[in-house]
Amino acid sequence: MDFTPNNAERPKTNQEPVVVFERIEKSFFGVKVLQGVSFGVGVGRIVGLVGENGAGKSTLMNLLGGNLQPDAGELRVNGHRYTPRNPKDARAAGIAFVHQELNLFSNLSIAENLFLTDFPLLGIGVPWIDRRALRSRAAELLRQVGLDHSPDTLVERLPAGERQLVEIAKALGAEARVILLDEPTTSLSSRECERLFALVTQLRDRGMALLYISHALGDVLRLCDDLVVLRDGERVGSGATKDFTHDRLVSMMVGRQLNQIYPERRAPIQTGSSESMASPDGGAVLQVDRISQPGIVRDLSFKLGAGEVLGISGLMGAGRSELARILFGLDPFASGEVRLSGELLTGSPRERIRRGLAFLTEDRRQEGLCMEASIADNLALVGLPANSRTPARFLDFTGIQSAVTRMREAVKLSAKATDGQAVRTLSGGNQQKVVLGKWLLMEPKVLLLDEPTRGIDVGAKFEIYQLIHQLADRGAGVLVISSEIEELMGICDRILVMRGGEITGEFRRDDFDRERILAAALHSSKA
Amino acid sequence: MSRIIGSEFFVLFLCLIAFAAFAPFTPGFVSTGNFENLLTACLPLLVLATGQTMVLITGGIDLSVTAIIGLSSVVGALVMGGEQGWLGGSPMAMPVAVAGMLATGALVGLFNGACIAWLRMPAFMVTLTTTMFFSGLAVWLAKKVVNAESIYHLPPAFLALGAQAWMALALAVFATFVAHVLLARTLLGRWLYAVGHNPRASLISGVPVAGVTVGAYVLSGIFAAMAAILLTARLETGSPNHGKALLLDVIGAAVIGGTSLFGGKGKVLWTVYGVLFLSLISNGLNLLNLSDFLITIIKGVVILVAALLDVWRTRFVRGS
Amino acid sequence: MRASNSRPLLRLLDFAPVALFVAVLLVFGAMSDKFLTADNFTQILVQSSSTAVVAVGMTFVLLTAGVDLSVGAIMFVGAGIAGKMALAGQPLSLCVLTMLGVGLLGGAVNAVLVTRFKLVAFIATLATLYIGRGMGRWITQTRAMNLPDSFLALGSAKGLGVPLPLLIAGAVVLIAQWVLSMTPFGRQLYALGNNPDAARKAGLPTTRLLTAVYLVCGVCAGLGGLLALSQLGSVSPKFGELYEFDAITAAVLGGTSLFGGRGRVFPGTVLGAVLLKSIFNGLVMVQADPYLYPLITSSIIFGAVLIDSLRSHLMVRLGRRKIRVEAGAN
Repeated sequence: MDFTPNNAERPKTNQEPVVVFERIEKSFFGVKVLQGVSFGVGVGRIVGLVGENGAGKSTLMNLLGGNLQPDAGELRVNGHRYTPRNPKDARAAGIAFVHQELNLFSNLSIAENLFLTDFPLLGIGVPWIDRRALRSRAAELLRQVGLDHSPDTLVERLPAGERQLVEIAKALGAEARVILLDEPTTSLSSRECERLFALVTQLRDRGMALLYISHALGDVLRLCDDLVVLRDGERVGSGATKDFTHDRLVSMMVGRQLNQIYPERRAPIQTGSSESMASPDGGAVLQVDRISQPGIVRDLSFKLGAGEVLGISGLMGAGRSELARILFGLDPFASGEVRLSGELLTGSPRERIRRGLAFLTEDRRQEGLCMEASIADNLALVGLPANSRTPARFLDFTGIQSAVTRMREAVKLSAKATDGQAVRTLSGGNQQKVVLGKWLLMEPKVLLLDEPTRGIDVGAKFEIYQLIHQLADRGAGVLVISSEIEELMGICDRILVMRGGEITGEFRRDDFDRERILAAALHSSKA
Repeated sequence: MSRIIGSEFFVLFLCLIAFAAFAPFTPGFVSTGNFENLLTACLPLLVLATGQTMVLITGGIDLSVTAIIGLSSVVGALVMGGEQGWLGGSPMAMPVAVAGMLATGALVGLFNGACIAWLRMPAFMVTLTTTMFFSGLAVWLAKKVVNAESIYHLPPAFLALGAQAWMALALAVFATFVAHVLLARTLLGRWLYAVGHNPRASLISGVPVAGVTVGAYVLSGIFAAMAAILLTARLETGSPNHGKALLLDVIGAAVIGGTSLFGGKGKVLWTVYGVLFLSLISNGLNLLNLSDFLITIIKGVVILVAALLDVWRTRFVRGS
Repeated sequence: MRASNSRPLLRLLDFAPVALFVAVLLVFGAMSDKFLTADNFTQILVQSSSTAVVAVGMTFVLLTAGVDLSVGAIMFVGAGIAGKMALAGQPLSLCVLTMLGVGLLGGAVNAVLVTRFKLVAFIATLATLYIGRGMGRWITQTRAMNLPDSFLALGSAKGLGVPLPLLIAGAVVLIAQWVLSMTPFGRQLYALGNNPDAARKAGLPTTRLLTAVYLVCGVCAGLGGLLALSQLGSVSPKFGELYEFDAITAAVLGGTSLFGGRGRVFPGTVLGAVLLKSIFNGLVMVQADPYLYPLITSSIIFGAVLIDSLRSHLMVRLGRRKIRVEAGAN
């Protein structure tokens, strides 16, 4: 299926755009995420929204989709003020949000998913679904999105790419005039991507307004008519796509000034980079050898040196968190080896903790903390076995208490919080400090950190960076996964970049270059 | 109001109310004889509820405890019963029987725990099913081996546990004390709470979640077996029917006391209060000579109130 | 377990109930020549009609990942009240309506406890189970009530040559199957059980859906009680006991999942009910030790729940999101 790239020949309309963002502001927990963003989406245009993680793209989408309300500024749809209180209002206004996480019911057919709240009925008094009408209306929508399945096919039989098309069909069925697509190509094969692009172009030609968020800059440049570039909650560039090049986009996304402060980083004792590793496992505290898990990571190898802070950069879906989970024993892998201090690393998380491995997960609420339990209980959790005496494993309360106090001080936990307080009541920064304290208690040899400063205020971030450095200085190896390139550049000795389950770049500290790191995350070329 | 309900002493408060409610209307309620009755009657419930508390803390539930009592009772009686018991009359009878009873409880608990932790079957369904199975097994065993519903002629040494109030009391207090120490002072205790709060975070923090879950059910089984010992001794027969009426009392006592059905929260001391409350109610109702069915209805209502209280506490009372 | 081994295993698990049915036919057929006769099978079908109806109601609740342990108690209370009315001379039709009304009321109580008070389904219905049984025993004064012959007449009446209980059960099954597969309400139930969060986001009326399933279950319990009465002719203190287990077993054996989102009334639950009754019919025919019955019932339930759990977890594992290693257009 063909599509006309870049709409260059279409005449510009003079009407007011279908969707207008005007000086939109939004903050979360005191952190300003959008600072007065303004732009519009015109009828029959595809607008691409680009920016790094945390630039504010998702927030803008959620505002339009009715999941959030702006703190200041105005949203307008079709010229009227638009103040949705929930997704239902958005749908009623003709706005369809196709999320990255699909909201389909796998046990129902495509047709049923499309019309779940709106079944065509035989008008005979009883609520009897008109299967024929259902099938034909669904087939029509499927035709429009180019999906070649019977409407009666169960969604659970469809691969991710096709489920996405069903979501778009749902939007069309709801007679949406504006469609928002959030990272639609993350789980798609190349063929499925081409199909999606053809569809999006078609919809544009039929007069829809489309807002397309993606990290795949090549796709964005090919597909979109106009671009809006966000950085740190501000619009730093916009205009017709033909006025932009790939490199210009990257530099706009990345910006020039560093707006955070990082603790000074001394050169580490040894890094795991290929040059300084003379012998096969030359002092590496963690050695990863050709780890493969189909669909997750492919042939991944790297070394982490004692005292080194190694960053792992990459976009969502690159496999970084999955890698960490594999290293910690939470998920299986098909082939390869992992060694800790030269010895093969196997077994349950408990085993690996005993060997000295620690893991601060991405989701502290679900996997890092017992929210209803006290600060003291959470801090002590990993260290409990070490603080108990055999044979019956009686707890050494004095030891535990002193450890808890020590850790509180070490992580600089807010003095206002009492030991017995539930961690649920703490701020994000303090919560993360509790999780960190829990792991530092066991004096790990290797600490894996997944997005350690997500959702945390600037002050707490700095303190966490300091803790990371202190840990490394004491000889531990620290792996930091983060979506903020600047953060990794600020605290790491070396950065690896992952994309599509593989390592696509390695940068040493003197070599750090934000644009090249981002480029490695976007392309599969080796830097 | 929230503060009162959320307080640890709410249940003691309830006990006072119950006492005040029954005292003027119930003949024989306020007498030393009755207090003794109350005390001995509440001991099996205490032991049972203590075991259940540990399972509830992990966020599970063990509905099979009454069946375990029945099975243990029959097993024990089969070993030491005077006429046809396997070791009847021998001095080894009692210790072996007691060991057998405890082992029965542990094994059933192990089975429950394995299905729930490793086969990931829903706890309520598994324990409901094992109730039917082991209760039926107990009846079948009694019928097959001695061709009777109950087994008599248990050795006097064993019966002393029932006849001498202080022995029963000592056993119950010992069991409760052990549970308290386990929960409050050992690693396993902390792990039980962690699993109840957040199994995923616990696993990542190095807690052997599956093992801990199995352990909770094994403990519940052993405690149920101890309750079986008390009941069998007091009633002087081994029977599959002992304790059948106690199921709702057990859950009611633990939950009213403050242990949450949602996991992560509970204390042995709270359960003691809850058991006291439920025993007061049971005792009073018995003295009032209420019909069986009225008592069943009231027990259902008590469980309902306990569950509602639990939801209220969980959602509205934010405490430390 | 490798993903590639999981799909065939899923298929195997799906076939288990059918395999069991065939096994039952073969084993009992071999052991007793009276088992595989048309007469006997008609007997089985008629006897399973009450269980089938209750199990159909249970299916609705299970689809939403809930459970109703009080169905037997609801049957008991309904039967008790209706029995008293009948003995006092009230017309049969009024008694029947009362049983259904009691069922509706019982279902309403459960619905309120679960949706309004947010109690966990098994605890709420465990409580109503006890309350209901207590009420039932109070109403019947723990004595058996022999009902007027009009009830038994219902049981032996035939319409078009088919026994009335079968007709009624058949009608219930048909209507239920229609609702579940042909009405928006039914399809939304499946969605709710499959993914409650997405259901809420999609704007489904979750409270109304949940309330409805408990009401349906209650009414089916009442109707099941009527069918049971029509065959027994009396209300004993044990009336309705263990029906909740039979209902859950029949549903789960028939493919309904305790975890929600999966299940069919026809053939699923109905097959499960017939299978269950066949097993007991067979046991009676071979004169098995009645003391073994609870052991056998619980083993069957256990097996059914085990299969359900294994299946659910295999499906979760298969559905885990994978990152495409050769992703995107770049």
